[in-house]
Amino acid sequence: MQISVFRYDPEKDVKPYMQDYEVERQAEDRMLLDVLGRIKTMDDTFTYRRSCREGVCGSDAMNINGRNGLACVTTTRSLPDHVVLRPLPGLPVIRDLVVDMTAFFKQYHSIKPWVINDDPAPEREHLQSPAQRDKLDGLYECILCACCSTQCPSFWWNPDKFVGPAGLLMAYRFIIDSRDKATEERLDDLNDAYRLFRCRTIMNCTEVCPKGLAPSRAIEKIRLLMTKKSV
Amino acid sequence: MKKAFAGLRPWLLQRLTAVFMLLFVLFLLAHFLFDPPRSDAEWRGWVLSPGTSIVFTLFFASLFLHTWVGVRDVILDYVHPAGLRIGALALLGSGLLAMSAWVARILLFTPP
Repeated sequence: MQISVFRYDPEKDVKPYMQDYEVERQAEDRMLLDVLGRIKTMDDTFTYRRSCREGVCGSDAMNINGRNGLACVTTTRSLPDHVVLRPLPGLPVIRDLVVDMTAFFKQYHSIKPWVINDDPAPEREHLQSPAQRDKLDGLYECILCACCSTQCPSFWWNPDKFVGPAGLLMAYRFIIDSRDKATEERLDDLNDAYRLFRCRTIMNCTEVCPKGLAPSRAIEKIRLLMTKKSV
Repeated sequence: MKKAFAGLRPWLLQRLTAVFMLLFVLFLLAHFLFDPPRSDAEWRGWVLSPGTSIVFTLFFASLFLHTWVGVRDVILDYVHPAGLRIGALALLGSGLLAMSAWVARILLFTPP
């Protein structure tokens, strides 16, 4: 396999460049992350984030042949012989494939990702029926890898004002949580020209989510809820 | 100004005006197919008749509102400096108002 990797060390390089590595496919290389590990033994200056190696932490999100994905769950078999690895698009590059996720997390925090319930505390837990709990499926599984938001052109153009698909998916997770009582405030917060409505249903987010989630569907559901409440 | 004015309402308006314009285009095509005007006078007579002129007015209102939301979206996406953005939106708004005035003049003052 020929792997072309985006390289940039701000302490040494004036500008980024692509570096090629020749790696022989081996039986033990199941995932792209395994191949990256072997590149690291060849060249230990090559830098990338990784942690769980099983698709639950989101650390090794990167742009693989133009599409965002997680290196640890991208099989080598699914890749062509020439692979181009770039950092997640739209975010500032710290070094090689490591990006600054500040803007992404700022938007996530802005939607208040916690249950807001100021009613007197119940004796034990807030009760929730199985049907109410089912509504959270497809939303709580988000690992905040940023594959979706960094593939969204609307997020590229306004990362400081548009919440982005990940943030909006999590906003919906709390909006339809039966234990959360701040639905009106959450919907009002998203109802302006930028926070939600920069979304044009481009649907890159749903296409690249490594967990199979559908941020565009969550966004449409928020829009429908807003419409129902306003008429 | 309430934030909601800028969020859900333009989005809904864009879709409602799109549906209306689609129906209008089908209505116009049906008219050309089944009862095409044979002269300029007949065309004028039809457009300026009470019912049809109201439908045409609604169509142009829909068109300019739809255009306002669409081009405003493009400006909000790409024009980041606030002053430049206000200028671009003002230019868009005044252009659309001018065209609305022109359409109003045509529909109100053209002799039948």
